[in-house]
Amino acid sequence: MSASLASVVDWSGLLDVAWVSLSAGIGVTAAFALGILGATRAVDMRRSGNAIAAAAYTVLMLLAIVAVTGAVAFALLIMAG
Amino acid sequence: MDNDLILIVVVATALAFDFTNGFHDTANVVATSISTRAMAPRIAVGYAAILNFVGAFVSIEVASTIAGGIVEADLITPLVIFGGLIGAIAWNLMTWYFGLPSSSSHALIGGVVGAAFAAAGPDAVLGEGLIGEVAIPALVAPTLAFIVSGLAILMIYRIVGRLRPGPVSRGFRAGQVISGGLLALAHGTNDAQKTMGIITLALIADGTLAAGADPPFWVIVSAATAIALGTYMGGWRIIKTMGSRILKMDTAQGFAAQGGGAAVILAASHVGFPLSTTHTISGGVMGAGAAKRLSAVRWGVAGNIVVAWVLTLPAAAVIGAGTYGLTRLFGTGAVGPLIISVAIVAGIGAAFVRRLRRGSVISAAEA
Repeated sequence: MSASLASVVDWSGLLDVAWVSLSAGIGVTAAFALGILGATRAVDMRRSGNAIAAAAYTVLMLLAIVAVTGAVAFALLIMAG
Repeated sequence: MDNDLILIVVVATALAFDFTNGFHDTANVVATSISTRAMAPRIAVGYAAILNFVGAFVSIEVASTIAGGIVEADLITPLVIFGGLIGAIAWNLMTWYFGLPSSSSHALIGGVVGAAFAAAGPDAVLGEGLIGEVAIPALVAPTLAFIVSGLAILMIYRIVGRLRPGPVSRGFRAGQVISGGLLALAHGTNDAQKTMGIITLALIADGTLAAGADPPFWVIVSAATAIALGTYMGGWRIIKTMGSRILKMDTAQGFAAQGGGAAVILAASHVGFPLSTTHTISGGVMGAGAAKRLSAVRWGVAGNIVVAWVLTLPAAAVIGAGTYGLTRLFGTGAVGPLIISVAIVAGIGAAFVRRLRRGSVISAAEA
């Protein structure tokens, strides 16, 4: 029974769903959280007069925005293709 | 002429099912965004309806699985599909009436399998496809959504845990516009395709399309429209009860739950697995809740979902088989489907009026 079950299940498809979901779900949420970290810290640093740190956090925020937007757009392009 | 009439009844029934699917599932798609106040209810519902419509055009892999991977298309007739649809609609209505959580997708697949079995015996059911492409992914997807959302929220708390709560909350509230939109898109992609697959199967059974054909464009547009309209109509009922019935979660949890659920549904849709979007979204919500605090999850609700999992496929199959048998009492023409359709509409009307008199129709619809 276990052998026949193993043969009918699309393991390759399930594996694809698992790794794509894990990497996209966790990756995009982590990137978005880094964007919020960058935005919040950039404001804090600017207020405390630390221009270099503020610029670095602004770059982090922008990179995170690009990563999230790019990941979503890439996913939709793959789906539509 | 008779065949055309049967086909029209089957297509209309399939679109009615699609409408109820959107109506029934609106709560799952927009609940998180509304409960965290990421979006105003009216905007959330309209936004979900539009993205449900758009999502239906994204892919046709799930439609192909439904049309060719679950039952033997050569042995199926439009009457079989009608029986299956009635099985699904009847089970959905029963669970709606009694407030039980259920999956429209599993009901649809169960109904069609039951009617096919009654019509042509076990040869009509593709057991391998049913187990490999429906049953196993149905078990894996909610678990995966639970894990993805749980890990995502742990990652989020690690990154933003020491920041001031105000900006973090505002940030994730904005993020929920994206994650909620992706979830609505994912819902439209997976669920609308099931109806497309059923209508395509009816067109193949009728001889209008060749076996293995893709859904025609008019099928995609009509399925997209029906689920979007159902979402929009269903949403207005939710507005009144939303504030009190949804589990409270913070905006980061909402973002993680929606993001995790959307990632699983979109990935599965691309591969062609017809999932229960309801169960997958529930898995995401529970994962985001459990990662913060195990007791935050209503485990009783989780238990009900498991019971519904076990019951839905066989129950819809039995009703689908019974409906097919009942239809055949009137021959192979359009008389049977017409009589049963009228009876179903009358039954729905009576149940709705009864619920309305009890004053609990809204809470039952959102259960």
